[in-house]
Amino acid sequence: MEEGLTVSVPAQLAAAEASQPIHPPPTSFWRKYVFSIDHKVIAVQFLWAGLVFLLVGGTLAMLIRWQWAFPGRPVPVLGGLLLGKSGGVIGPAAYQQIFTMHGLIMIFFAVTPVLIGTFGNFLIPLQIGARDMAFPKLNMYSFWTFLISQLLVIASFFTDLGTGGAGWTTYAPLSTNVGTPGTGQTLVVLAIFVTGASSTMGAINYVTTVIRLRAPGMTWMRLPLTMWGLWLTAILNALFIPVLGSAAMLLLLDRSFGTQFFVAGASAVRGGGDPILYQHLFWIFGHPEVYIMILPAWGILGDVFSFFSRKPHHWYRGSVGAMIAVTVLSALVYGHHMFVTGMSPLLGEGFMVFTLLISIPSMIVVVNWVMTILGGRIRFHTPMLFAIGTMILFGIGGLTGLFLGDISMDLYLHDTLFVVGHFHFTMAAGSFVGAMTGLYFWFPKIFGKRLDERLGKIHFWVTFLGLLLVFLGQMTAGYEGQQRRLFDPYQYTFIQRLHGLNLATSIAAFLLFAGQMVFVWNFFRTVFGKGKAAGPNPWEVTTLEWTDAPSPPPFHNFDRIPYVLRGPHEFGNPEVLKRTGRDWVGQTEALPGGDMAGDPALSSGKA
Amino acid sequence: MELAVNAGPRGGRPAEVERLSERPGHPAHEEKTARIGMAVFLGSWAMLFVALFFSYGIVRARTPLWPPLDQPRLPLLLPGLNTAVIGASSAAMVMAERFPGLRRRAVALTSAAALGAVFLTLQALVWTRLWREGLVPSGGPYPSVFYALTVFHALHVLVGLAALATLAVRAARGRASWIAVRLWGMYWHFVGVVWLALYAAVYVA
Repeated sequence: MEEGLTVSVPAQLAAAEASQPIHPPPTSFWRKYVFSIDHKVIAVQFLWAGLVFLLVGGTLAMLIRWQWAFPGRPVPVLGGLLLGKSGGVIGPAAYQQIFTMHGLIMIFFAVTPVLIGTFGNFLIPLQIGARDMAFPKLNMYSFWTFLISQLLVIASFFTDLGTGGAGWTTYAPLSTNVGTPGTGQTLVVLAIFVTGASSTMGAINYVTTVIRLRAPGMTWMRLPLTMWGLWLTAILNALFIPVLGSAAMLLLLDRSFGTQFFVAGASAVRGGGDPILYQHLFWIFGHPEVYIMILPAWGILGDVFSFFSRKPHHWYRGSVGAMIAVTVLSALVYGHHMFVTGMSPLLGEGFMVFTLLISIPSMIVVVNWVMTILGGRIRFHTPMLFAIGTMILFGIGGLTGLFLGDISMDLYLHDTLFVVGHFHFTMAAGSFVGAMTGLYFWFPKIFGKRLDERLGKIHFWVTFLGLLLVFLGQMTAGYEGQQRRLFDPYQYTFIQRLHGLNLATSIAAFLLFAGQMVFVWNFFRTVFGKGKAAGPNPWEVTTLEWTDAPSPPPFHNFDRIPYVLRGPHEFGNPEVLKRTGRDWVGQTEALPGGDMAGDPALSSGKA
Repeated sequence: MELAVNAGPRGGRPAEVERLSERPGHPAHEEKTARIGMAVFLGSWAMLFVALFFSYGIVRARTPLWPPLDQPRLPLLLPGLNTAVIGASSAAMVMAERFPGLRRRAVALTSAAALGAVFLTLQALVWTRLWREGLVPSGGPYPSVFYALTVFHALHVLVGLAALATLAVRAARGRASWIAVRLWGMYWHFVGVVWLALYAAVYVA
């Protein structure tokens, strides 16, 4: 606190105000809602774009489940619409495209925009006390670039040979013209490149904004954990999305200009390039990507657990350190995706050790969550339920990752549904339910209205139990030996006995999907109908977006730049209770009865 | 001490919020923010080139003979000259950032842009010659690497050139933003450094 007092508070506030990116308030409809440079509007644009594609990706997942439950039977309703030529039956080529696009859409065009695009844009300026992102125009370009990439994906479905079909990993040489000819695959690879450009723009904005525009008193150790998660994600995005960009670019050159980076063997001139190179490039990006998708959720969970347990987050600094450690380690483990590709055993063991090491900081984060909840006065509102659900689902995903990180085990489990179940627990269940946690939590702030709690809880139970059943079912089938991506698994006699299990899993998946309609209904009804007004701080929590701005926050967010006095998790402090009668005090709130800023009991990290 | 703390949202907004867009800017703050953003961008873009050089390394290591006997060798002289040209252009850019006096800065900017154009011209000469000698992208990994890296780099030069030319025109009219000059300077030096690595790795090695 002392460092804050060396320069007078008004001077600090004036300096902070002078650094703000200011733009004139939009007057026309187009400037206000379409080509907006307001971070809050851009966040909502990302939200809609992401939610629409979430529905598309989910529908594709249902088609995969249908194929595994009833191979060769026409798909009801959707089959006639999408697969008219085959009478609604999913053929092998269509099946390949379905599982490819399910993965790609979910990762790049659904979860990423919701988790990073929406929460990053909406929360970063609000939680650090800034008027907008550091580069508001770049922010707008980021969204419109993203939209172009989504349009490319949509366009790919309408090409002659259909959309991409080389798996979400787009491994070469299957993804080259040799394996997947046709404009569809090219458009999909182009879409990956373009969405990468959008992510990079976003990352530049996020990294810079958090460095430069924190309000006076908002030290690094007073940032809400959500900010840490999003900031570290942005760093990973800035460093590793370009590697994916290079892979996509070289693949595009191979497909469209006849170069030979990834083509080899009989189809190549003069020996050709190296298909394995693609795997290196892809996974150098691909493993950090896993953490790109989970770190924001970790941050959100850390804050939500503290907020709804009415307790300070347990060992805040430990969680921050662990998240930094995970960020660093995530760059050193990509080889564990390639154990079966073939590599020097020494190198393989190195990757294995680093992979298993990641579980240490991950466990620090998870144990801190548990310690935060323990002994708290827990409020079981919908966001808290989703947070607990995320913790359990991610926990299962993390623990099963240990099996796959171990080489000898991985050789057996590689390319089985066990892998699919594992990464769905982490990246799908973890990220998706984590995003839902954030959405239920910040919905009142974004739209100024309350979602229906009862429908929210129904949505939670269907989602949580559904995900648990579906992915436990997948893991069991995988452990029994069912390979992933099989068009008709039952052509193998040893998988035939797993048909019952697959059928049950599929039914759970259909129920899970149907359960999401509860959310759709709740969301649409509240956004467009008359929801209960939220008020500025319905959850009674401490961070700036709740304490210093109404819901929804006005243009340029704050009446004046806030002055931050303490960390984000000031709950259950007896001194605060005595003075205010509340169990919480906002990050900017001066306590009645004199300035308590210098009181060590009130500064974060020590409390 | 009484702190100016925002205790909570109020009814109407203070007038100063409505007039925020009329307040004078703070160039020093803005420049520092923009420089950090530019540094993050260049760091990010450096990773892209690192990945491309990594790909080159792997492809080359997997190819038995590099360059293949039946394909034209890459020239050293013209690209070497180009290294000097882009170096001189970077130096001119430094002068544009540091010279006192508007006129001399404008001249420095113009020369930086002109040298950039010379670089592209020489590079185009290298491409057309090699193309005529039979080096086409579909001729295997060797030309693949050559064309992918040089063309991708040249695109960056082109973007920088467009920016420098615009800045030079504005400077000649006496209304260039010197923050923009310094920011594009960072970018221009980055493109130069990448060329140096490219020349060493693709042409010389």
